[in-house]
Amino acid sequence: MASPRLFSTCHQPPFLPPSPQRFVKSPAKRRPIRSALQFNRKPQLAGETPRIVVITSGKGGVGKTTTTANVGLSLARYGFSVVAIDADIGLRNLDLLLGLENRVNYTVVEVLNGDCRLDQALVRDKRWSNFELLCISKPRSKLPIGFGGKALEWLVEALKSRPEGSPDFIIIDCPAGIDAGFITAITPANEAVLVTTPDITALRDADRVIGLLECDGIRDIKMVVNRVRTDMIRGEDMMSVLDVQEMLGLSLLGVIPEDSEVIRSTNRGFPLVLNKPPTLAGLAFEQAAWRLVEQDSMKAVVVEEEPKKRGFFSFFGG
Amino acid sequence: MASIDSLRFHSLCNLQSSIGRSKLQIPSSLVVFRRRHKNLNWVQVQTNQRFVCKSIGDESSTPDEETQNDDNEEDDAVSTQSNTATDSETSISRFRSMITTIANDSENSISRLGSMVATLPPVVFLMNKCSGNSVWIGISIVATVLLASIRAYAIRKSRDNRPAGSVSDLVRRGQLRSGDRRGISKAMNYEDPFNNPFVKVGKGSSTVEMCGKVYKLAPVTLTEKEQSIHQKRRSRAYQWKRPTVFLKEGDSIPPDVDPDTVRWIPANHPFATTVSDIDQDLAQNNVYQKQGVPFRIRAEHEAMQKKLEALQNEEKLNNLGIDSQNARDFQRPYKFSSKLEEDENVQKNSQENHTGDSSSEETQKS
Repeated sequence: MASPRLFSTCHQPPFLPPSPQRFVKSPAKRRPIRSALQFNRKPQLAGETPRIVVITSGKGGVGKTTTTANVGLSLARYGFSVVAIDADIGLRNLDLLLGLENRVNYTVVEVLNGDCRLDQALVRDKRWSNFELLCISKPRSKLPIGFGGKALEWLVEALKSRPEGSPDFIIIDCPAGIDAGFITAITPANEAVLVTTPDITALRDADRVIGLLECDGIRDIKMVVNRVRTDMIRGEDMMSVLDVQEMLGLSLLGVIPEDSEVIRSTNRGFPLVLNKPPTLAGLAFEQAAWRLVEQDSMKAVVVEEEPKKRGFFSFFGG
Repeated sequence: MASIDSLRFHSLCNLQSSIGRSKLQIPSSLVVFRRRHKNLNWVQVQTNQRFVCKSIGDESSTPDEETQNDDNEEDDAVSTQSNTATDSETSISRFRSMITTIANDSENSISRLGSMVATLPPVVFLMNKCSGNSVWIGISIVATVLLASIRAYAIRKSRDNRPAGSVSDLVRRGQLRSGDRRGISKAMNYEDPFNNPFVKVGKGSSTVEMCGKVYKLAPVTLTEKEQSIHQKRRSRAYQWKRPTVFLKEGDSIPPDVDPDTVRWIPANHPFATTVSDIDQDLAQNNVYQKQGVPFRIRAEHEAMQKKLEALQNEEKLNNLGIDSQNARDFQRPYKFSSKLEEDENVQKNSQENHTGDSSSEETQKS
């Protein structure tokens, strides 16, 4: 465990060795990150960079895009360079959650057609200069047949060899289903995060998706259980997280409780992890991002809510 | 003396009644003052001495026993009326002793009562001691409760009246910090997401408090053996090959392609295009391009340039001027009458004038 020390808000933390792949030319100067929350400690990056993570679920509406946005921004806040790819070709949503919908001018389709370069299609977040968004296509656009998976592979290779340096994380937001879009999204990935909710329909679809991922050679799969309600678990109206884990047999990356702030953050284009004070779901996303960096998993899970013991003076509004 | 004695006894009776009238239930008929004629036979005052003793000291006596005692005492009173005067002195002495014992008993009863009061709860005792401050204590307690209720009501009221969707609402929820807008915000320093003021793990790691809510924790029980069992189950249930060939519905499968690797795309799917305008190599080069103008824009630019050059060349050709002397060489020779010769002369003269003008113009221009 690293000794507690303040790390600077610049893109390069002082105790990480410089990347040997950088060009002689001085890299483009980046503005320092202005953060509402600063951590005195940084997670230890495990595995080879860039780590290509696909966030998938099978069933739609379980929180893939929300997880991608919040985990991606958490990673950027920890000081890692992140590229988030919205691989949903027909229905693009990641830019809305991040509040970058007005800044997406070029997509991967334009890059493939030669209308722009790859760096022109990357949208850099002004709040976090080390977080970039890349959308596959605009609505009503079409990709040539057979280009999907290959295109993503080319993109990853191009990102690895770009002048600014290879990103630490490439996070791919997978579309729902197990169609061609899913196959395209998982092509370049070497690890996966499966998002599910504790209901039987999502679990069945999740099990199928895990099977397909394992057939495709992705073995490092971790699970995020979203929209957990401890009151329903206590009333035995909802499966507990341990039950979900027993059914799917995956290690846990995070447990996200049901939080109405998710809807507000979605509508405002302000990700949850940037709230101050942090919300319950925001803290859970930050913890999940930490575990993702360290390739760790949860050792204990939240079961139910306990009534808080209140002191004598709580009666007076304490 | 009789009057004094009567007065004393009367005072004693009053004392008895004040100590415990309800319990004692001394009927007035038991206390009889009988005056004998001239004999000064004192009335054999038969008080229910035993009853009095029982009322003060003995609490175990029952009312039935007390009535029996009363009856017994009445019989004794009747029997003593027939005593002679010689017994009066003994009765007087006896009476005096009885009075002294009653007095002693009353003093004992008073002291016992005082001890009973002293054993009461200290709060009541304190209140008796500080009776003046209890009012203020009660007032302060009531005021505190009132303040707490007013505060809770005011908070609820302000929450309901707060406008939704305003900038102040965003600031209140923490999604927009007023300090950020003014550039004077301070960052919150956390150790890490697991160790900060919003996440507190309870003693023994059995509970965790997150954002003010306490949750019970349970350890994860999934083992590696169970994970491998699940993996084997899924490998048996789902057998899938990655599709490498994407074909539109209706297309024929190429001969050297495995049918399991073919993926059929519906016509209305975003992956289905009518014409593939670009080849893979070119697309890959476009993706890998890091500097310069993108391919299509460069191609369009070059095409525009070529078109412009072609247009310019065409204009140059159009701008070439026709020379009159040269034009004459192209004329056909005339083979007609003198009229035509005169016309030729006129034309010559006019040409000479024209050339003379043109030469003068050229000299002027140069």
